[in-house]
Amino acid sequence: MLFFQSLISGILTGGIYALAAMGMSLVFGVMNISNFAHGDLMMLGMYMAYYLFTLLNIDPFLSLVLIMPAAFVFGYAIEKTMINRVIGHPSENQILLTVGLGLIMGNTALLAFTSDPKILTTSYSSSSFNLPGDISVSIPMLLSFLVTCLLTAVLYLFLSTTRTGMALRATSQNREAAQLMGIDVSRMSAIAFGIGTLLAASAGALIAQTYYIDPFAGHTFLLKSFTICVLGGLGSVIGAGVGGIVIGVVEAMSAAYLSSEWKDVVVFVLFLAILLLRPRGLFGRKGEQ
Amino acid sequence: MTKQWAGIAAFAALAASVPFFLGDNPYIADILITMLMMASLASAWNIVGGYAGQFSFGHAAYFGTGAYTTSILLTTSGIALPLCIGAGILAASLIALLTGAIVFRLRGHYFALASIAVAEIVRLTAHNLEITGGAQGLLITDITFGNLDLNSKEPFYFAMLFLLVTTLAISLLVRHSRAGYFLLAIREDQDAAASLGINLYLWKNMALIVSAALATVAGSIYAIYIRFIDTSAVLSLRLSIEIILTTIIGGVGTLWGPVLGAALLVSLAEALRTNLAGELLVNSGIITEASPIESFLKNNLAHAHVLVYGIITVLCILNLPKGILGLFRRKQRT
Repeated sequence: MLFFQSLISGILTGGIYALAAMGMSLVFGVMNISNFAHGDLMMLGMYMAYYLFTLLNIDPFLSLVLIMPAAFVFGYAIEKTMINRVIGHPSENQILLTVGLGLIMGNTALLAFTSDPKILTTSYSSSSFNLPGDISVSIPMLLSFLVTCLLTAVLYLFLSTTRTGMALRATSQNREAAQLMGIDVSRMSAIAFGIGTLLAASAGALIAQTYYIDPFAGHTFLLKSFTICVLGGLGSVIGAGVGGIVIGVVEAMSAAYLSSEWKDVVVFVLFLAILLLRPRGLFGRKGEQ
Repeated sequence: MTKQWAGIAAFAALAASVPFFLGDNPYIADILITMLMMASLASAWNIVGGYAGQFSFGHAAYFGTGAYTTSILLTTSGIALPLCIGAGILAASLIALLTGAIVFRLRGHYFALASIAVAEIVRLTAHNLEITGGAQGLLITDITFGNLDLNSKEPFYFAMLFLLVTTLAISLLVRHSRAGYFLLAIREDQDAAASLGINLYLWKNMALIVSAALATVAGSIYAIYIRFIDTSAVLSLRLSIEIILTTIIGGVGTLWGPVLGAALLVSLAEALRTNLAGELLVNSGIITEASPIESFLKNNLAHAHVLVYGIITVLCILNLPKGILGLFRRKQRT
């Protein structure tokens, strides 16, 4: 029973990881930038959900409708004003720029919201139901997972059927060739970063009921998202989706059968093993290592 | 190069005479010790990050390993202090060798991410073990070394200064040696360097071990100075990033850049922590003690130094990729 319980909760948590990691992977694919501010963007999503609920009484799942466009505009603006200036620069400069942006967001949040952790409690926050065999399933986690599936499906359709989506994929495959075909690659970068921010903030809003909300709450997800992206192949959105579920399950299993203190170590060891043995990940294409 | 040696000697002489002017001022001494420590760490990082161009994002691992090894040996065994520091260097060198074996197979983003992962494994291990005191941290009591007064600041000031001068001297030696040219060649173009017969793997590892050993000593001195360590103080990703930012802001790949960066950032943090801006405004009569601006500054700026680091980093990367030292260099040339 422990096995199935861990499997179910691993899959549910993994769904959220997947959502956060897909945004990061899209940004990496289109712009070739590792976004170290991704965790802080998630944190902003958590606070938005918190304040929309406490001040305006909007349910966290409904508030996604407001959070997503706001996050998209925010990401688009950051890309246009700052990040586009380091595209094609050495990766260290890109990393440090996003680290700097993350420090600004996290510490601004610290000034604005203080370091006291906040808890978002709705009427159904701690409710759960039991599957046969005494496996309990948390309702907010299940809802989050379903929303994640919906968002993933929309993202997939967007990338595979719309003109902008195809242009994004073309830019991701080969920036120069895409530019030669008349695609406005700098606009694609801004759109990719906007969508990346949207996905990060959505993931943040979805977990706002399950985790403590504090200015640095996104940091644990940052490293996890990187692990997932590398597992799935940096730049592969589908890979990030599958990778998220895998990491969620691995974590839940190591917490159940090893110990909860060592589960993060297991994830990082796995991460290094993938980097060394199969650097392009499960679904990645051949290329930079 | 003789000029550079003279510079180091002049700096050492000047800094060594500072305690005699200051007399007994523990507050200033504490700031100066922190400055010297950050300068040593940034200079040590600069050997592998600046000269060899390998941006390690996990240098806290070496600092922390030094701090923990020295503290554990000091508190649980009767081994003399220098040997404990030596053991720290040995332990960190082993970790550096292991890290190098993994991360130097990778480049670019993958290298940066792998170096974080290794450092996080070290942090989580220290957090989960019992011998390190786990989440509670480690208290270091009753230590003696010769007839030095380890409760005063002076021995630590000179120890950190000695470490910084040693690090600067090693940096200068490395920079102008055959190995130094290999490192620069690797930084500029790894593939070209390899095609000229430079053993990338060997030289990157050499740079990392030297850099790690120096960072370890800083960690050991820090632990004995503060007498209390925990993983969030000595092994966190935040510390690794602070080391890099210090170097970048001062001037990466230069001899004095890390020292300048440390001087600037540590004084900035202290000025914000003590609300220097508010006091100046009050003293110059622009605002009164009771004004809301003063209370806003007083209540918020204490935690704002990391925010200011972030703003400086973003401005530096976008406008001054060569750091503040690069600003003067460019002016000299034109």
